[in-house]
Amino acid sequence: MAHTAEAGIDLAVVRELMSHFKPQDHQEAQELILSALQEINEHFGYVSLEAAEIVAEHLDTTVNRIYGLLTFYADFRTEPRGRHFMLLCHGMSCYVMGSQQLVQDLKDRYGVGDGDTTPDGELTVQVVNGCLGVCDRAPIVKLDDSFYGDLTPDTLNDVIQRAIAARRATEDTDVNPINDRRSNPA
Amino acid sequence: MSTQSTTAAQTRLSSRAEFEAYRERAEQRWASLWNGNQTVVSVGIGSCSVAKGALDVLAACETALQGQAGIVRQVSCDGACWMEPWIEVKRPDQPPVIYGNLSPDEIPDVLAGRLEERAIGVRAEKPLGAILPLVSHPFFKHQQRIVLANVGVIDPDSIEDAIARGAYSAYLKVLFDLSGEEAIAELTASNLRGRGGAGFPAGIKWESGRKAKARPKFVVCNSHEGEPNVYKDRRIHEGDPHRILEGILIACIACGAERGYNYIGGEYPLAIKRFRRAVQDAERLGLIGKDVLGSGKNVAFRVRTGGGAYICGEGSALMYSIMGVRGQPRTKPPRSVEEGIWKRPTVANNTETLANVPDIILKGGEWYAGIGTEKSKGTKLMTIQGPLKTMGLVEVPMGITLRTLIDEVWGGMRDGHQFKGIQTGGVSAGPLKEEHLDLPVDFDSLTEVGGMLGSGGFAVFDQHVCAVDYARYLTAFNRYESCSKCVPCRLGNPALVEILDRIRLGRGSESDLPLMDRTSKHIVELSLCGLGQVAPAPLLGMMKMYPEEFRAHIVDGVCPSGVCPISSDEVVLAAGD
Ligand SMILES: Cc1cc2nc3c(=O)[nH]c(=O)nc-3n(C[C@H](O)[C@H](O)[C@H](O)COP(=O)(O)O)c2cc1C
Ligand code: SF4
Ligand code: FES
Ligand code: FES
Repeated sequence: MAHTAEAGIDLAVVRELMSHFKPQDHQEAQELILSALQEINEHFGYVSLEAAEIVAEHLDTTVNRIYGLLTFYADFRTEPRGRHFMLLCHGMSCYVMGSQQLVQDLKDRYGVGDGDTTPDGELTVQVVNGCLGVCDRAPIVKLDDSFYGDLTPDTLNDVIQRAIAARRATEDTDVNPINDRRSNPA
Repeated sequence: MSTQSTTAAQTRLSSRAEFEAYRERAEQRWASLWNGNQTVVSVGIGSCSVAKGALDVLAACETALQGQAGIVRQVSCDGACWMEPWIEVKRPDQPPVIYGNLSPDEIPDVLAGRLEERAIGVRAEKPLGAILPLVSHPFFKHQQRIVLANVGVIDPDSIEDAIARGAYSAYLKVLFDLSGEEAIAELTASNLRGRGGAGFPAGIKWESGRKAKARPKFVVCNSHEGEPNVYKDRRIHEGDPHRILEGILIACIACGAERGYNYIGGEYPLAIKRFRRAVQDAERLGLIGKDVLGSGKNVAFRVRTGGGAYICGEGSALMYSIMGVRGQPRTKPPRSVEEGIWKRPTVANNTETLANVPDIILKGGEWYAGIGTEKSKGTKLMTIQGPLKTMGLVEVPMGITLRTLIDEVWGGMRDGHQFKGIQTGGVSAGPLKEEHLDLPVDFDSLTEVGGMLGSGGFAVFDQHVCAVDYARYLTAFNRYESCSKCVPCRLGNPALVEILDRIRLGRGSESDLPLMDRTSKHIVELSLCGLGQVAPAPLLGMMKMYPEEFRAHIVDGVCPSGVCPISSDEVVLAAGD
């Protein structure tokens, strides 16, 4: 789903997404700005300047207002994601069960913190301040579309390495994507 | 096998009689589902169980029943995290049995009755062979389900299931039988207090909304749930979206509002999907729109989603977010019931508050006031985090003790973990210790000792957690989530984090303790909104409950739990970095 840096954002797709937003008046148009940005962020993994300009034009607002929103709401990114996208839960169950060690280990091993992408473009990490809702298996991460629970720094590293390896393998042989939600190990 | 098709609501109903006929058909269909000669397998599919492989279990059930007289249906998770993935098997002439902690390859054996040791309980008063009634299980025994009555029972994507189980009957009453005043009188009599944290009486808020003169008026349901310590509202959405929608629609009619909103946290895709589906089906049936069921009343509806900013749970910030700007609170007055969305009167309630409304309207305010304690009526959804055995979401009467919750409902501590404390009120209050566990859980009792019921999310922590580091985590959360609008919160919280870091690194001094007290006082007294006004509470609570740990860091240069990087020269991250 999320596109990587190489893919860029196909503006025709953005226009298509926007065509489903049909505000009746200016008030409703303003109410739809966030929804529109969410849809683009979800589809491409981030919102580029060009995409933001299309939203601004479609909903009769300015690109500056949109930038203000993209930088206020934590779910938005303005840069592409890496090939893998990981949400690291830092809610309270995860904290009391040791998520801080995972955050530290990612920094030590991969040099990435909240919002960062590894230099090789493989992994983007987003630390989630809320709760991902799988507290009984804390600490947990959501890597691409799968959840992994009861993690330690070492098992998390395993999970990441396996995902990267599996993806590389599929790129060579062109079989099923790893983030098939039915092959869910957590 | 037939996979149960959720009959889409096709026909628009244009009168009360048509709705009642529809409900009768739905009830018959529901009854025949359970009385037939087939096996009915219900699989709990929620975002929590999907994370644990419930979709594989669902697929395995479908495969196993192929070519047999059986139905596989989807329900939502039932709050019992500890038994996921689970299924319920209703065999002909037997009450339904729940099996838990299943993997897909076990399904054929479970369905064939060869894995009875995996049964958690039977939905009946009496045991079924060796299988005990589900209601005798400690996790379920203390529960009284009003809001969760249909959760894990109905297919959340089926408006027909919901209506068969009573959905929209209270709405009908408010549309046709009660005036706005009368409906609000029931709410006032129930003494229902807001479930979003502050506990404000819902009846009083609705009455101000009803009396507000400006037009149009709005009702907004606050389903943001951005706190790090709770997962209740998204489960109501996933399990019984029609109950929430009905509560909002009742509020609209009773207060005379033209439009209802539900603002759902953007992190909960399944909650959003199922709620949107519910709105679509209700629109198609004619429960939303112009001249609803021929009552002459109109009501419109909009769903909006959040973007991962905790502050957007605050009422005025939420409304700015709906209006497409940054969610930054404003000074009050005017209150939202006077000037809310688009400067029009707006009644805002938490999801759980609104989900209680249909039953209050149907059964009366007095009935509801008979549940709970003197000042905290009804039930409360509560969630638990930390190293406990049978974790999950429960609905219990107000006034239950923390000890019953921890030791019985949530199964006690896991092996190797010793109870150290329980954080209450999320990021807005302090922790409680062993000696507080016999307090009743309600709006007032916990507050007296520095805790808080808040939204009902509790986090138990053990000997591996350091009070200083935990205080740092909680303060750093508020620092990160500060909207930056006002100075005391924007600069005060980073200052507290800085001092705490000093202490964590073993470089604190004794004067840091009064310094944190003073800084906190500034933040509490001068901040504009509820975030800043309570942001230092967790830190102050940790200092009060665990003073010896703060002193150990400062005076002895040790972290008793071995968590803090005392005397470390390396760059070590802390929670919230
Ligand atoms: C920082 C902050 C965050 C809040 N987050 C929520 C939330 O996620 N959900 C909620 O219902 N109320 C939240 N509230 C409380 C709301 O401001 C408001 O009191 C509540 O939604 C009113 O509904 P109720 O009376 O039914 O509780 C928050 C308040 C503050 C100050
Ligand atoms: S107290 Fe904090 S969150 Fe509230 S308005 Fe001020 S800066 Fe924003
Ligand atoms: S706190 Fe991480 S899943 Fe709930
Ligand atoms: S079982 Fe779904 S809430 Fe945990």
